[in-house]
Amino acid sequence: MVYQDTLQLAEKGRGAYEITELVADFIKESNIRTGTCQLFIHSSSASLLIGDIADESTKNETAAFMAQLAPSSDNVDNKIDKGMDAIPEEMRHVLAQTSLSIPVSNAKPGIGVWQGIFLWERSSHAVERKLTITVIGD
Amino acid sequence: MVHQQQLRFSTSGRGTFNIGPQVDEVISQSGIQQGMCQVFIHHTSASLILCENADPDVRTDLETFMKRLVPDGDSMFIHQDEGPDDMPAHVRTVLTQNALSFPINNGRDTLGVWQGIYLWEHRTNPHKRKITVTVMGE
Repeated sequence: MVYQDTLQLAEKGRGAYEITELVADFIKESNIRTGTCQLFIHSSSASLLIGDIADESTKNETAAFMAQLAPSSDNVDNKIDKGMDAIPEEMRHVLAQTSLSIPVSNAKPGIGVWQGIFLWERSSHAVERKLTITVIGD
Repeated sequence: MVHQQQLRFSTSGRGTFNIGPQVDEVISQSGIQQGMCQVFIHHTSASLILCENADPDVRTDLETFMKRLVPDGDSMFIHQDEGPDDMPAHVRTVLTQNALSFPINNGRDTLGVWQGIYLWEHRTNPHKRKITVTVMGE
């Protein structure tokens, strides 16, 4: 069985936002008990990551590390139409994930107790994000 | 058809561990001839990689590269509750993979001859790690 939908996520500004509950609700709605769930973000300046939910600071520090790898002070003249942060954000995107894949066990996300699913929004502009979730299984 | 099973591993601390034989065992038990296999790790300080399996120096070099990229005890990090390897372990996990997905054909994995499946422990102390293997197909 396959259950798929594309969700519109309201723009919230730069940062990492936990979407674990949204994914759990979607899996429940699918009526699939065992299988896999794929999340795909239709964007190159927002990505998906599984992060630690035990300590709030881990999210911010992952962002700080990525910022250090691709600093926003880099030259961005050929992307000026998207704003000064466009290129470094896309660099960070390559280092992060466009899609995540998790198991579905007992009709729930089969992830660890300390794992949370995050949308990592890196654009400073107001953009709505499209997220497609596909649940496959029995 | 869906076949799902959990595997548990005890790591001896930071390093890579070949989990290919255990994953292959699950594929074989599933009886699925054609389809896909998803391997998912339930942690935020250990991850999965598909890596060259002929020369162990490759994995030693990957470890050296990661140590340089994300140094333990970096003063940039404030999340150090569990020691200098705590936050670097989270960053290393984000930069690698939580889940691997590959095709199954003729009842076997279709990995290249030189591709191996490794659990990468990022903490310096030994840990118990949980992995879910989901095989889907016919």
